[in-house]
Amino acid sequence: MSQPEDIRDELGRQPFEPLLPIEKKLIGWSFGLGIVLLAILLLINQLFPQAS
Amino acid sequence: MSATTDTAAWAPSDSSSSPWINDDWLSVWIGLLIFFSALAWLYGYDLLGWVVTTSVWIDPSLALGTVSKTYGFLGGAGALVVTYLALLAVLTVGAIALRARVLRFITSFTVVFWIAYASWIIGSYAQVAAVTPADLQKFGIPWSLRLTNEGGYVVALIAGLIIANGFPRFAEWLKEAIRPELYIKIAIVILGAFVAVTAVGRLNLATTLLVRGVAAIIEAYLIYWSVVYFIARKWFGFSREWAAPLASGISICGVSAAIATGGAIRARPIVPVLVSSLVVVFAVVEVLILPFLAQTFLWQEPLVAGAWIGLAVKTDGAAVAGGGITEALILAKSAAEGVRYQPGWILGTTTTIKVFIDIFIGVWAFILGYIWTNHIKPTKSGDKAKAIEIWQRFPKFILGFVFTFAVGLYIAFSAPAELASKLPLSIAEANTFRVIFFILTFFSIGVLSNFKKLWQEGLAKLAAVYVVSLFGFVIWVGLLISWLFFHGIKPPLAS
Repeated sequence: MSQPEDIRDELGRQPFEPLLPIEKKLIGWSFGLGIVLLAILLLINQLFPQAS
Repeated sequence: MSATTDTAAWAPSDSSSSPWINDDWLSVWIGLLIFFSALAWLYGYDLLGWVVTTSVWIDPSLALGTVSKTYGFLGGAGALVVTYLALLAVLTVGAIALRARVLRFITSFTVVFWIAYASWIIGSYAQVAAVTPADLQKFGIPWSLRLTNEGGYVVALIAGLIIANGFPRFAEWLKEAIRPELYIKIAIVILGAFVAVTAVGRLNLATTLLVRGVAAIIEAYLIYWSVVYFIARKWFGFSREWAAPLASGISICGVSAAIATGGAIRARPIVPVLVSSLVVVFAVVEVLILPFLAQTFLWQEPLVAGAWIGLAVKTDGAAVAGGGITEALILAKSAAEGVRYQPGWILGTTTTIKVFIDIFIGVWAFILGYIWTNHIKPTKSGDKAKAIEIWQRFPKFILGFVFTFAVGLYIAFSAPAELASKLPLSIAEANTFRVIFFILTFFSIGVLSNFKKLWQEGLAKLAAVYVVSLFGFVIWVGLLISWLFFHGIKPPLAS
């Protein structure tokens, strides 16, 4: 297993990895889908008010 | 071994270990053993009545007692010793199954138990725990910290933190029994039955909470994850290998999610290990702050507070136990204002949120694994993500939670009235064990949180992502979503 010094060094000097198109898709679709699903869920909750 | 690698030692076993012998399954078996032993009470066999319980006290001789009068002859001290011996016996069998160092486990568990339970007793001291003016008058004290007796959780956490940061060699010696994941999972299995008993008679409300809990899944996996991953990659320049487990750790469910994601994207083992350490440390900070903020600002919206803790605090242990503290604080504040809510609903909401989020860890890890092994870092066919990994990474203790919940509901609705009426008292005995496992969890989390070592290992940059994401985004969005979905819903009033 890596020693702490190695990790400190690695975290301090990570090579730049540009966002790939598949990563951009993953981020965009996740976020967009999340917003849409939350909106739908909120709407359902408005249509069917909570029990008490 | 460093403090951070210690954390990983007690993280959930991965798919490479024996499928039936790991923390996850062990928690199910121990939880069910306690659950079924408690149910024997329905048929007249009081198998668990000897377990120790602590009352708010000013006279130490009155602090402890047995949960059932049947075993009153044991006295408080006797009950504490019997409880210790019983837990030691059961957990030692578990340690043997997990191939832990048994003698070391026995000695270190002994120390862990007594320090943790002593913390609980201290937390129940009247000047710490008494809440209402009537309590102050009863104990003849002019003031109190009003933490309720569940302030003992905070005392246990602080005791653990003192050991981790002031006596690291002692913390290292204790590590065989420092198993927060195991303790909290046992507690959650037992909690299933307690939630069922709480939900009986208010099934409409319980169903409403379940439906709204779906929002938590969407928020954690789709919104939190994408934003944190973006921040880690774009703003902080982390590589994909670090950013994905970090995003899962901060967004989903701390330790389990970081480790599942690390495995899915084929990261080096050290990556999720260090992320897990970070998650535990930040969870400690959150548990020390958020319940008190919830009590101050959300006491009139108890279920918003419960959902918020479930969404904001990462790691099952800290979140569910934090829900327990939040419930105690809010019930105390409400009682002081003349409103007495039925206990169990705030904690039940936190647990529901957490369990819902946990369910999908395997699915999410599979999706990430599929993308990584096919598109980002294509691997040879034998190493590609497989659907079976969904089951392998599924947190099995959830099965225990669902089982005890279902059996509890079944008995409440289908058993003869005479049996069903005994159910709450029977589950109350099991619930006393749940409290003890919460205490052990809090103490263990504290012992794992060595702030100095974390800093020495160069995790400041990871911590910076955590701070930005948690305090700049996760907590507030969690509050907003909790408010949108849970405001206006109140727990039933205590009869």
